[in-house]
Parts: sequence; C-alpha cells; structure tokens
Amino acid sequence: MEKKRNIKIEELEARRPFSVPEGYFENLTQEIMAALPEQESIYSTKITVTPWMRIRPYLYAAAAFAGIFFCIKAAVGISSRNNAAQVAQTEETTIYSDEYIDSFLETAMIDDCTMYYTLVDAN
Amino acid sequence: MAMMAYDERRILEMLHEDDISRRRAFESIVNNFSEQLYWQIRHMVLSHDDANDILQNTFIKAWVNLDSFMGYSRISTWLYRIAVNETLTFLNRQKATVPIETDDEGELSIAERLESDPYFDGDQTEQQLQEAITTLPDKQRMVFNMKYFNEMKYEEISEILGTSVGALKASFHIAVKKIEEFFNNID
Repeated sequence: MEKKRNIKIEELEARRPFSVPEGYFENLTQEIMAALPEQESIYSTKITVTPWMRIRPYLYAAAAFAGIFFCIKAAVGISSRNNAAQVAQTEETTIYSDEYIDSFLETAMIDDCTMYYTLVDAN
Repeated sequence: MAMMAYDERRILEMLHEDDISRRRAFESIVNNFSEQLYWQIRHMVLSHDDANDILQNTFIKAWVNLDSFMGYSRISTWLYRIAVNETLTFLNRQKATVPIETDDEGELSIAERLESDPYFDGDQTEQQLQEAITTLPDKQRMVFNMKYFNEMKYEEISEILGTSVGALKASFHIAVKKIEEFFNNID
C-alpha cells in the first residue's frame, strides 16, 4: 500500500506553475488601451436639445397652472351652487366648441367630472 | 509617445484634467498594475483566456467608472477590488452553467484540465496543489492566493476585501490546513 504523503505548505516552493503566450505582457498595455471605449462616449457625450425638449417645461407649467385655475374655479363654483339658478337667470349660456373642450382636456389634465363642474360652474 | 513613469500623485491629478491627460494617466496605471492583477485573476480562474478576458473587463470597468474613483484609497486597492468582483462574478456564472452532477464522462477534473493546458507547466504536486486550492470556498481561495502566491500583506488584503486582518489570518490558516488534509488523503 502506498504511503500517504505528509505535505506541509510552508515546505513547498510557492512557484507559479502557469505561463502565458509569448510576448503577452509586452503587448498587454496596448491591447487593454485599445479595448477601452472612446473617451467621448463616456465623458463628453453631447446631448442634443430638441425644440420639444426646450418648450416641454413651459408646457408642463402652463398645464399645471391651467389645472390649478380650473380646480379653484370648480371649488368656488361648488360653494356658490346655491346661487347657480340666479346666475343662470342673469347670464347667458356660453356655447363651448369641441376643439376648445379637447384642447382644454389635453392641457389641463382633469377628468370628465371636474370638466363638467368647471363648465357648469363657469356659467 | 513614451510611457510616463508611475507617480500616483501626478496620476491622480491627471485623471481630473483633459481627456488626453486622463488617457495617458490611465495608460500608466494599466502598465503598472496589469501584470500583478493578471496573476491574481489567473490563480483564481486557472485558464489564461479567462484570466485575460476578466483583466480586460476589469480595466474597462475602471475606465468607465473613473469619475467615481475619488482617490480615497490607493489606485491598486481600487483596481484589485474591481478585479475581485469581476472574478467572483465569473466564477459564480461558471458554477451556474456547469451541471452539479457529472458522470464519469462529464466535466474534466481540475487536474485533467491543467494537464491538457499548454500554459500550465507545473509538476504533479503543483497540479494537486491547484486542485486542492479549488476545493476552498471562493473568498478563502482568494485570500490564500493573495498571501501564498502574490505575497501580499494582510493589511493590503484587508483593504481590498474589507475583512479584518484577524479574520484573514484565520482564513489563511484554515485554508492551509484544508490543503494539507487534501494532500494527506491522496493515495
């Protein structure tokens, strides 16, 4: 029976048993540098600002103001609902075109119910 | 253009300058650390091709994340950390793709793989030592290789792995015992 080996790590020579292809380390820096992405793509990427990107914040702000305006109007209208009949008697009914309602819905971002109250109370 | 001498302070300054200076500074970093990082990776993955791929990825990651390196640690520590993460990710992916149960005709053993590797020139004991090392858990293996083959100081390893010096000493000691036990169990 073969005798078991009693190997001590400290007694072994800590030699690297690996090798590399010839000239590998000589060309390594160049190879790694060549594989790097271009500097521009990381640090100097220019963002193209489109006209839409430029006006978008103003549009959002306008929509938000319009929304707030109509909400306040609706709230005031509800509180003075008791006077609605009186208002109806004294003021003429306004006819809103479909285009107006569509654009209003798009910009104000309110639901149908609020829209209804807004138009009713505006009169 | 001649390669600039490695001066960490100057390199850190250049990394915050224009694109050309940045690239020159990074080239100097690559030139200074690529070989030692390669060996650290190679001892973990054994194959030259895998080590080369991981090394390339390590430097690409470092380059892409250059802005996040604030200079709080040494450049070598930062690079080692990236290399360690890349290596562990590779090993985990490798484990996930290799079936757990293999029959006699399945996966080659480490010894067989090394025997057929043209870039392994160790003798039988060195082959068995590599086989013994691969039985260790990944992090313990990393500690063993850093200490045994790369002769790194515990303080240095501690910075890279974020483990206390005491825990590293214990880990290395356990690794040595396991490897010796592996040898003792070979008929």
